[in-house]
Amino acid sequence: MLEVNGQRHTLDVAPDRRLLEVLRDELELTGTKQGCAEGACGACAVLVDGMPMVSCLLPVAAVAGRPVTTIEGISHDGPTELQEAFVTEDALQCGFCTPGQIVTATALLTSSPTPRRAEIRSAMAGNICRCGAYPKIERAILRASGQAVE
Amino acid sequence: MSVRFVKSQREQEGRFEDVWVLVDEDDELETWPADAELSLVGQPATRADGAQRATGAATYTVDVRLAGMLHAEVLRSPVARGRVTSIDLEAARAVPGVRVVIGPDGPFAMSGDPVLTAEPEYAGAPLAALAADTMAAALAGIEALALSIEALPPQVDVEAGLADQRFTEDPSEDERGDVDAAFADAEVTIELTCETPRHVQTPLEPHAAVARWDGDELTAWVSTQGMFDGRAELARRFGLSTDKVRVISEFIGGGFGAKQGAGAEALLAAELAKAARRPVRLVNGRHAEQLVGGRRAGTRQTVKLGARRDGTIVAVESAAVIDMGRGGMVFPVNEPALTLYAVPNVRAMAFPVKTSLRPQNASRAPGVVEGTAVFEQAIDELAAALELDPLELRRLNHVDRDQRSDLPYSGKQLLICYDRAAELAGWADRERLREPHADGLLRGMGCATQIWWGGGGPPAHAAIRLDRKGHALVTTGIQDIGTGTLTGARIVAAEELGLPLDHVVVRGGDTGPNLYGPVSGGSMTTPAVLPAVRSAAGKVRRTLLALASDVLEIAAEDLTLRDGRIRSLDGAIDVDLVEVTDKLGNATIDGSGARGPNPDGFRINTFGCQIATVAIDPGLGLVRVERVVAVHDVGRIVNPLTASSQVEGGVLQGIGFALSEELLVDPTTGVPVNAHLDDYKVPTIADAPEIVVAFANVPDENLPNLGAKGLGEPPIIPTAAAIANAFAHATGRRPSGFPLTAARVLEALA
Repeated sequence: MLEVNGQRHTLDVAPDRRLLEVLRDELELTGTKQGCAEGACGACAVLVDGMPMVSCLLPVAAVAGRPVTTIEGISHDGPTELQEAFVTEDALQCGFCTPGQIVTATALLTSSPTPRRAEIRSAMAGNICRCGAYPKIERAILRASGQAVE
Repeated sequence: MSVRFVKSQREQEGRFEDVWVLVDEDDELETWPADAELSLVGQPATRADGAQRATGAATYTVDVRLAGMLHAEVLRSPVARGRVTSIDLEAARAVPGVRVVIGPDGPFAMSGDPVLTAEPEYAGAPLAALAADTMAAALAGIEALALSIEALPPQVDVEAGLADQRFTEDPSEDERGDVDAAFADAEVTIELTCETPRHVQTPLEPHAAVARWDGDELTAWVSTQGMFDGRAELARRFGLSTDKVRVISEFIGGGFGAKQGAGAEALLAAELAKAARRPVRLVNGRHAEQLVGGRRAGTRQTVKLGARRDGTIVAVESAAVIDMGRGGMVFPVNEPALTLYAVPNVRAMAFPVKTSLRPQNASRAPGVVEGTAVFEQAIDELAAALELDPLELRRLNHVDRDQRSDLPYSGKQLLICYDRAAELAGWADRERLREPHADGLLRGMGCATQIWWGGGGPPAHAAIRLDRKGHALVTTGIQDIGTGTLTGARIVAAEELGLPLDHVVVRGGDTGPNLYGPVSGGSMTTPAVLPAVRSAAGKVRRTLLALASDVLEIAAEDLTLRDGRIRSLDGAIDVDLVEVTDKLGNATIDGSGARGPNPDGFRINTFGCQIATVAIDPGLGLVRVERVVAVHDVGRIVNPLTASSQVEGGVLQGIGFALSEELLVDPTTGVPVNAHLDDYKVPTIADAPEIVVAFANVPDENLPNLGAKGLGEPPIIPTAAAIANAFAHATGRRPSGFPLTAARVLEALA
């Protein structure tokens, strides 16, 4: 039994299948990306019990009965303020890492509604953006949290 | 509105060829002057597809799911050089779920140039490929292949390769003037040797392809920077005409030079799909991507400069030893030595050494990044020897002609870039950085200059269709790899059509409409495609005004179109354009455009200056970039928002090259040892400095209809040298090479 984005799924999959594969291949939730499958890039981040986790390293059995939220779940009622801030600030280029960035930043803003810059840089350091949108990711998070962007 | 053939010179990353191109320009359009009153061009605009990218709705190649689709996996060489002694293709075929297996030999061998080999010459080389119902079955199939391979001694040592004259092609020598005599007469000479790293492009979406056959028609979703090149490659490989092949590249998770044409992935996926009669998806795993996705070659360069006491550079000698891998193009490492400053006497040599790595391929500003990283340090060494301000030395040796062709630059605003960068960085006060700091860190400031091409050119096409609602659909051959060029096309079309941005939709990423666009490389998409878009829009605008003249009973010349309204010059008429377009019913107004040729008698280049401030921990050997000021001259800026993103990204990749990124190769086995993301260190947000971006923003009036040049590559070029020069400013020392690891830093400070 897997609870994803508020929906319950009964799946016949091996308990050691990685959550990322189950999300993408069984549930066809392809917004969650595989960047490395090594837990090193954050592109596959999802929320488990509201905490950001890399789904590529999680056996699906480890999240049984725990609510999982993916980028599709976050976007369910249309783009959030954070997602709108990412677009406004141009905090994305190729966009491949963006779902993972949004997931991690969503968790940050839940635990710390007005994060300081140092806090943002620490919380987001596990999410690689090869295009280098970092300065604008920082600005987007500041904007979404209602703080001054310079 | 004449359509014509012209013979034109096509330039890509400094390589020139003469081609016939069809030109379909709007002859009445003139380049917008610098002071033109524009409502959209030059104003920041968010990406048209931003929400799709931010919500996870964007479909990348790796996300394509087709009915009956099989999963492909590739057996790769575990050794750097070897000979396959056995592969059990039959055993793999017997694995439940495996549908097709192809190996290097036998009836299932691939046609054309070999993609699969039995004699691999680098680690990761594809030996066999198969497609199966599930990924698990595919991996079981790979196991069942039971590879047995004889390892042969790899070629790792570049210096040994140089000594043995083991080259991928003949070494080159460019020379002008009398170099030896000039050095003999020089009052001051300096020499500097520096190494640059093997630098892996590392797009976050790896190379990937999905192929589907419908009879003899092939559709391929490819994560590529060049969908039309991919179409040509697939057509050639399978003996098809190009109208039988459609390549779709709507969203691409980065490329940075590594994703050219169809790639081995699309060729293999199409081959497997043909044999299996089912769609096939092939996606590189991260380890495979880091091994075979591509690489900027490592180099060792020695630069010697001779000058007069007054700062005039009189002689340059540059020698680059390039770790090519098995081959690939030799990129212009010596370009800065040959063109950056006014020097009458230059000798530039390149030695492309063959080693047991994947062939070098394109990597954001290939050649010129590694060349500038060394040459611009030599310029600073010369400034130190002459006791001149480094920026002043650069200004003194400014040149407004390309010294190889002896043609003037079409536009060059480098002096503006120097002034603006110096002002934004506080260059005049830089000596104060060297005073002791409470945190015990050493600080310094350094600059570097950038030159690159980026003029674009034909062929590039666009078509625009305006409907009764007054909405425009722009179709282009752009694949937007994250640069935002589709949004740029939207801005230009809306400006010329006098429409609000949200009444314009731009399509790209699909060869289906057969509207050609160039590869997203060489900083050429914006300057190649956007003028074609403007030409198409100009024609649609004129047709619309002609129709308005019929409806409003006033001469078309007396009407203007702006902000979605048609107005008469005398002010008597001011109507929504829908009052005219609504009468179209199901008809549409169509216009086409094709990029015109570049003017004869010029060289088109981009320029810039970056100034970095660094802090060094002399005990730990750690270097931190605190601030980078980047000022570039790329002609007119179409969209300052996405343009600044490009610059920030280029600077960050330059920081990776300078401080942390290097593909390390085991000297015994020749196998890369850090082909993963946890040990190949790309910058994170915690490494990002403050980046201050500015542009000269002077339209290049010699470029057709827009005056804009490309920006993809320029910002990565000067960053590493600016950092190394800041390091030298802070410490008086120069590390032996990049990246500036703790080991290299401590060695330099010892």
